[in-house]
Amino acid sequence: MTAGLPGPGLAQTLPSEPLVFGDGHVTVGADVSATFSCAETGGTGSCGDDTGFFNYSDYEYSTLRMLRVDVNAVVRANRSLAVVADLRSENGGSPRPYALYARLRPWAQHAFDINAGRVPPTFGAFPRRSYASDNLLIGYPLAYQYLTSLRPDSIPANVDELLRMRGRGWLSNFSIGDTTPNRGVPLATAFRWDTGVQVHSAWAWADATAALTTGSLSDPQLADDNGGKQIVGRFAFHPEAGLNLGVSAARGQFLSRNAARSLGVDANIDSNQTAIGADAEYSRDYYVIRFEAVRSTWTLPTIHEPLVATGGWIEGRYKIHPRFYAAARVDHLAFSTITGTTRTATWDAPLTRLEVGGGYLLQRNLQLKASFQRNSRAGGRVTHLKIASAQVVFWF
Amino acid sequence: MTRRLIFSGALAAAVLTAAAPPEAARNGSIRGRVEIRRVVATPGPRASVTDSDVLKAPDFTDRLRSVVYLETAPRAAFEQIDPAHAVMDQRNETFVPHLLAVTTGTVVDFPNSDRIYHNVFSLSKTRTFDLGRYAAGRSQAVRFDRPGIVRVFCDIHSHMNAFILVFNHRFFSVTDADGRYRIDNVPPGTYNVIAWNEGLASEPRAATVPDGGTAELDFQLR
Repeated sequence: MTAGLPGPGLAQTLPSEPLVFGDGHVTVGADVSATFSCAETGGTGSCGDDTGFFNYSDYEYSTLRMLRVDVNAVVRANRSLAVVADLRSENGGSPRPYALYARLRPWAQHAFDINAGRVPPTFGAFPRRSYASDNLLIGYPLAYQYLTSLRPDSIPANVDELLRMRGRGWLSNFSIGDTTPNRGVPLATAFRWDTGVQVHSAWAWADATAALTTGSLSDPQLADDNGGKQIVGRFAFHPEAGLNLGVSAARGQFLSRNAARSLGVDANIDSNQTAIGADAEYSRDYYVIRFEAVRSTWTLPTIHEPLVATGGWIEGRYKIHPRFYAAARVDHLAFSTITGTTRTATWDAPLTRLEVGGGYLLQRNLQLKASFQRNSRAGGRVTHLKIASAQVVFWF
Repeated sequence: MTRRLIFSGALAAAVLTAAAPPEAARNGSIRGRVEIRRVVATPGPRASVTDSDVLKAPDFTDRLRSVVYLETAPRAAFEQIDPAHAVMDQRNETFVPHLLAVTTGTVVDFPNSDRIYHNVFSLSKTRTFDLGRYAAGRSQAVRFDRPGIVRVFCDIHSHMNAFILVFNHRFFSVTDADGRYRIDNVPPGTYNVIAWNEGLASEPRAATVPDGGTAELDFQLR
């Protein structure tokens, strides 16, 4: 007599599927990541901080030293209506709503949805992959994470004042509006979602999304702070399996009402953020290649030239083994040139980042990632910094 | 006269019986039903807030199927396995069937019947593989040479998963939608029988297969 089936031979002991209860009406999932990093310290051999603030998405937190817990839930009332929520906690802080919206599908046979509330990002491709489990590497693309010196609540009095903040977006301050030093904004943030109404329609070869929201790409809002609305849209084309091409555009009011009042203007002032984006992804067999570019233009009442920032990156992944992949991203952020009283320079410091790394699947939904970053910036207190990072990701 | 005929007939029967070779034991069957009495994990997609299909309700049906198998089988059974082919389709972002039971040496085809990419892979020690991304109309195959449990996933769609149970004998059966099973051609004898569903195996239960008959055995998985 011989045994027919060995005992539990599963390389999967953790639950990999979301929790479903309420007769299928409630689905709960989670995405948990713990990230630690060491920056070079000039030969001292110790583990340094990101002293150049290259990876800060918020004044207090570095994306490379973070414990993030996302708990998300979908409550389906019926075949037409669902409520979607995501609570996020960073570094043990109080949970805050990352997403909270109602989804209405008026016609069951057509993939046409209306979302209302704190809605998913419309612009670009990367914000849909901002969960750690979806990101090939540990760092984020600069256009969606790196803090420029611009702030919606504080206005530089002139070009010279803006130029003094080059490379200091993690702690920027200007003389008009809120003068307290605080963080600047990225071109488009992947860490906060905007509030409004979004419509999405999908067909076999394409899908289109449009939204009307209260904030702007760089400064999404829960409640309106300037009386202006943002219009944003995206069209994605899928000509064949594995190939996705997308274009996006957005325009919205940027400065807050309080900042405008500091200029002595009661009504809304003409201060917009306008952005366009393009993205492409091609995958086949064991590799994935992605490209994305974002070009954002801000207009400020005190600066007579538009402030343009362009971010672009290309990233790729190759699966070497069922458990292991290697990945790399080359990323650059460029700024337009402005002229002050004493010099002509880009309004913020251009930045290039090279990140290489890989991931190892311990289980289907438990992954170790490691990466190495080299940041180079033409300005700021720290201009070059190498950072090694490790991350553990668990999701269900 | 009548007594002579009876005697003659009895004598002839006795002679015939003594001359005939001993009759071979006839194979029998084990049949019954597996009742799932626990909450079955659903195949619903992650509650990703960027997912455009949050309104799609999960489908439980395929998760109720189980495999019933002999824990041990007659040695002779292992000499008769012919390599076979099986198919696990990828359709509507689901592996079909969700549960496949095969013998060692079987080649399983994984066709992609969707118009989007899929990427079948497994991290199981029994068979670790990754078929890469391939489009609709294409198929890749994997041969399973070792007995064990293989958990199959799609690298692109996190809600897609399936099980392949590989046996080195043929005494197993996948239940139907109602949980009913039948294992045929089992040599007479007493066997330990196990029911398995979604990673949970029952305690072995003894079943005695009579000569040419059928043993009844029901399971409840909690």
